[in-house]
Amino acid sequence: MRLGAALRQLVARGVDHARAVAERAQQARRYPPRRVRFERFGAILQLTVPRALVFVDRAFARHVLAVDSGAESEAQSKAESKAESKINRPAAWAGPEIALGDAPLSAPLEAHLQLTNRCEAGCRGCYTGASPDGAPGEWGPAAWMRAIDELASAGVFHVALGGGESAVLPWLGELADHARRRGIIPNLTTSGLAGLGDLVAIADRFGQINVSLDGLGATYARVRGFDGFARADAAIRALRGKKREVGINVVVTRANFGELDGLFAYAAERRLSEVELLRFKPSGRGARAYGELCCSDAQHRAFLPAILAAAKRHAVRVKVDCSYTPMLAHHRPDRALLAELCVYGCTGGDFLVGAKPGGQLTACSFAAPPPPPEAGADRPRITDLRAYWDAPGAFGAFRTWRAAREPCASCAYHALCRGGCKVVSAHTTGDPSAPDPECPRVVDHGRHGGYGEYGGARSRKLPVL
Amino acid sequence: MRRGRILAIKWGMNPNSSSLGVDVTFLLVGATVLAAVTPLVGALLRWRRPIPVDPPPAPPA
Repeated sequence: MRLGAALRQLVARGVDHARAVAERAQQARRYPPRRVRFERFGAILQLTVPRALVFVDRAFARHVLAVDSGAESEAQSKAESKAESKINRPAAWAGPEIALGDAPLSAPLEAHLQLTNRCEAGCRGCYTGASPDGAPGEWGPAAWMRAIDELASAGVFHVALGGGESAVLPWLGELADHARRRGIIPNLTTSGLAGLGDLVAIADRFGQINVSLDGLGATYARVRGFDGFARADAAIRALRGKKREVGINVVVTRANFGELDGLFAYAAERRLSEVELLRFKPSGRGARAYGELCCSDAQHRAFLPAILAAAKRHAVRVKVDCSYTPMLAHHRPDRALLAELCVYGCTGGDFLVGAKPGGQLTACSFAAPPPPPEAGADRPRITDLRAYWDAPGAFGAFRTWRAAREPCASCAYHALCRGGCKVVSAHTTGDPSAPDPECPRVVDHGRHGGYGEYGGARSRKLPVL
Repeated sequence: MRRGRILAIKWGMNPNSSSLGVDVTFLLVGATVLAAVTPLVGALLRWRRPIPVDPPPAPPA
C-alpha cells in the first residue's frame, strides 16, 4: 500500500516536473532571459533547464562563451581577436582573476522590489509595517519600469516582487512583462489574501510564485494575529491550478516551529514545488513582536535537522533564507559543499539589493536606505544602482563584513556566513556589524568565552544522513 | 588549455522579496551526489553551442 502511494507520488512529481520544464522552455523562447554576466572571477551563466545560476571561473567561461581564448597579454589578446570572430576580453577581466567571494559581484543577482506598502491584512509581525494607506510617495508603473531598465543594464538576472500586497496593483502583469522583455525573470511573493482573481490571470508571467503561509489552521492565526489560513489555502490551490512552480514561504517562529513537518506535508499534498523557510526579522511591526515570536536558541540549533528530516519525509524541495546560515554552520556541514551550493549568509549589497515603495535603494529589504552620498542630496534610488554600486562606502556595514570581530573573526565558516543577519544584530545590539547574537557559535562564545567543541574547521556528518 | 571549473551553482529562483533563498535540499544527499551533478551541468554547458554574449535587450519601443 505504502509502495503504491509512493509510486503514485513519484509519477505525479515526474509529470509536474516535465510540464514545468516545458512551460519554462516555452517562456524562454518567447522572452530569452539574460544568459551570461562576466565577473572578475569568471562568469555567471543562467540555465533555464535545469533552472540555475552557474558560477564558473575564467577558463571555463572561455570554453563555453564566444570570447577570446584567454590570452593573458593585451597584445596577444588583440591578435587573437583579429584572427577569430570572437569578442574581446570582457572589461571585468581587465584585472587579475579573483576567487568567488573575494569582492562584491559586479551587480546583484536579484533585486527585491517592494512595489507598494499597501496591505489590508495587518499581520502583527509584518516586516514592512504595511497598512491600507501604503507608504508616502509610492512609485507608479512608469518609475518601476525605469527601475527594471536600470537593473537590466546592470546585469541583474531576477527580480522578486513583493509588498505590502503587490497582487492588488492593476499594473503588476504589465511590469512582469516588461521585466521579461528586458531579459529579467520576475518572481513574486503574495499573501494570497487580496487580488487573487487578477493574479491567477497573470500567474504564467512569473518564474516562481510563493504564497506566505506561516501555519496551518489555528497556527496561522497565532503567528499572524488573524485567521487567514482558509483564504491563503484557497489562493495556493487557485495558483497551483494555473501554474506548477508555486511554493510557500514560511516565516519560522516560536509558534510554528513544531508544525514545520506539517507544513512540508501540506506542500506535498498540494503538489507545491518548494518550501522556503525565513527567519523572523525584527523589522517593521516585527520589531515589536520580536521577543514573542523569534525562535529560541534550542529551536535554532534544531532547525537544520528538523527541516532536512521533513524535506526527506515528504519529498519536497527546501530553501532557507540567507539569515539562517549561522544555524546551518552550527552543524558543521562541509564548507566546500555549502560554497558549491551558494549558501551564504548576509549578501545584502552584493548578491541582492532591495528597493522601498518610493524606489529608495537598500542593501536588503529589512535594512534602512543608505544615507545620501552628500549633504542635501537625495538618498540613492534603485534607478541609481550602477552609479551607487561602486561608490566608496556603498551599503555601509553590509560590505564591511570581512573586518569581523570575535567570535566571527576566527570562525571557519565566516567567509560563508559573513557574520549572520545584520538586521538582527542591529536590533539586538545596536550595531549592524556585530556578530549575529542568535548564532549558536556566538551564543556559546558568550557562555564559555570560546568555541569549545566548535573550535575546529573539521566538518561532521549532517544530521539526517 | 585549462578547461576550467564550476565554482558554485545556485539552484532555482528566489521569489521571496525579503531575503536570498538558497536550495539546501542537496544537504540531504551530501557532497557525493553534488559531485556527480556538477560535472553533468558542466557537460551540459560545454556540449551546447557557444553561448552568445549579447548586450542586454534593448528597451521596448
